[in-house]
Amino acid sequence: MLQRLRLVPVLLAFTLLAPLAAFASGARPLPTIKMFTTGGTIQSKGAHRLKLSDYSDGRVTPDELLADVPEIGKIAKVEVVEISNKGSGSVGAKEHLALAKQLTAELARPDVAGAVVTHGTSALEETAFFLQLTVKSDKPVVVVGSMRPFTAISRDGPLNLYNAVRTALAPEAKGKGVLVVLNDTIHSARFVTKNHTYHVETFVAREIGPLGYTDSDRVVFYRAPLTRHTANSEFDVSKLDSLPQVDIVYGYQEASPGSIDGLVKSGAQGLVLASGAGTYRNALERAKAKGVVIVASDRKGAGRVTHHKDGPDKGAITAGDLNPQKARILLRLALTKTHDPLEIQRMFDEY
Amino acid sequence: MSTDRRAARRRLSAAACAVIAALSMSVGAFAQEIPRLAPPGLAAPPAGLPNVRLISLGGTISGTATDRLNLTNYGAPRLSPEDWIAALPELALVANVTPEDLREPEGKTSKPISLHWMKVARRLQELGADASVDGIVVTHGTNVLAETAYFMNLVVNIKKPVVFVGSQRPWTGISGDGPLNLYNAVRVAATKESAGKGVLQAMNQNIHAARDVTKTSAYRVETFQGVDLGVLGVADPDIVKFFTEPTRRHTFNSEFNVSSLPASLPDVEVLYAYSDAPGYLLDAMVERGVKGIVIDGTGAGALTEGFTEAAKRAQTKGVVIVVTARTFGGRVQDTPRRREANIVPGDNLPPEKARLLLQLALTKTTDLAEITRIFNEY
Repeated sequence: MLQRLRLVPVLLAFTLLAPLAAFASGARPLPTIKMFTTGGTIQSKGAHRLKLSDYSDGRVTPDELLADVPEIGKIAKVEVVEISNKGSGSVGAKEHLALAKQLTAELARPDVAGAVVTHGTSALEETAFFLQLTVKSDKPVVVVGSMRPFTAISRDGPLNLYNAVRTALAPEAKGKGVLVVLNDTIHSARFVTKNHTYHVETFVAREIGPLGYTDSDRVVFYRAPLTRHTANSEFDVSKLDSLPQVDIVYGYQEASPGSIDGLVKSGAQGLVLASGAGTYRNALERAKAKGVVIVASDRKGAGRVTHHKDGPDKGAITAGDLNPQKARILLRLALTKTHDPLEIQRMFDEY
Repeated sequence: MSTDRRAARRRLSAAACAVIAALSMSVGAFAQEIPRLAPPGLAAPPAGLPNVRLISLGGTISGTATDRLNLTNYGAPRLSPEDWIAALPELALVANVTPEDLREPEGKTSKPISLHWMKVARRLQELGADASVDGIVVTHGTNVLAETAYFMNLVVNIKKPVVFVGSQRPWTGISGDGPLNLYNAVRVAATKESAGKGVLQAMNQNIHAARDVTKTSAYRVETFQGVDLGVLGVADPDIVKFFTEPTRRHTFNSEFNVSSLPASLPDVEVLYAYSDAPGYLLDAMVERGVKGIVIDGTGAGALTEGFTEAAKRAQTKGVVIVVTARTFGGRVQDTPRRREANIVPGDNLPPEKARLLLQLALTKTTDLAEITRIFNEY
């Protein structure tokens, strides 16, 4: 470990000098990638290299993270900004808004080719989907993390980070919205979800599959997403510094309706149902009467909640194939613009 | 809705029920699994529906048996496309469906089958230019459905929806999947968003791209899967919804076209790699005069020693070698070692589809860099 740390300055120097050397030799200057770090497993240290869970024995700084993969310096000039250094479950509106604003500003620079956001994996899909809906740019934005900590045996972080940068540099990645790259696979932020607690192949889009792969020979794409995103999104967070409270209610047999009443009392403007429950009916009516917007999602993990036969106004707003945690992100943004159920259903159909 | 109109609608629905009951009887045992209940509105289908051509190339979906528990040994009599339309009056809710039978006569199938494919491809292209047609459904046996669909995807210049469909259970089978698959295929073909996405495959409420769909199970109804990739969309009860579109070249954007293909395609065969697979298999193919060989390699596209040596001998005779991966998923990559060995990487195509692409590529070029480009783009 100590030996590794002593190497860092050397590697850092190499990272910084490599582009200069290329420039001096007359080669084209390397493209610039803007990298934002937020924390998570990829920036976590364990006390020994077999510590693959419960690793909380130290944090990795952004510079340390970058210096760990000097190969990146051969393909891009990376500028790092630290947004936070915490687990993804602690990331929220503050970080979402900071990322959306800074990504939009930095990607507007002509010299920046794309951006990489490092993130904890547990709730990575929520941040990635928020950025999919709010970053105003068609340049690639790649969200990346790792399943194993910085110190672990057979850790996946370095290759994931390298492949994230490669994807952010790929011309074909442009205009495809926010991408999530781990385990050699490129997913759309709209469709990806975390599917396993520990395995490296955790990220999947259960029915829709990935958009492409980061193979050794090239970054290869097979699909383009058809939902509205990034430069084509109607959501504008540039002047916002908070977001409406929206919460998720899980449906199960004999579920107590108290959770719904409690959330309404605590100020929720919207509720997403991860499946309904027979016991929820009256509490949902009480919530609606107070102007709370209800969206029906599902706990099963695949498939659409189909449109309600009576429409979104008389029946229910339905989340389509968005899982509850992503439906929450979209409903939050929708509520910054409207409370009209017809409009909100349109947004769920388009994004 | 006024009481009068409600009553009128009830009468119409009752009439529709009677019609369906009569139709169901008239086709005898066919479609016995379709409940005789009419959805509201069936008596008065909406005006201005899209025109969908329903082309039969046969398949299990046209197969019948006298016993509805016969799910494996079915056969004649084969249904005509008219029988399907009679059994599914609900089709009239979503499209004006015109049947067309392009099956080859029983026992008189073309050899090679690509001769028949070219005839079908020419017809699809013709329908693409026919202003009275908005979308096309093609029924097919499921075993090689993905190959035929991929061939059409490469050689038919068309933007209109072309939807391949089949079924795992015969039309007369208990809980037959054919009726819903056919209904949904017509819905997909009648949907504007289905245009320009290449040839589609729609079964089991899913919509797949012809390039990326594979039959993965002998009998299950969820047999069609994208191995590396997922569905493009779904035919859900409420709407047909697309999530993604393919980025590889196809149909209207393809450099191949059925009108400029030679009368028959160059011979290309497939070899499966396994421990100790001997080179003489490859030599025999070369001796027979094949122009190309697709080897379904082990792992990431590795060859046995026997195959490696035989491939070198084949190459000296101008035979093009493409390698795919028998792993079922994953790409064969463009590596320095492979370049040195003059082997074209087959991307993530299964060998049967790589064979079709190589056949088409060889109608244009034998240049390895050019063939590699083709495998990267299609």
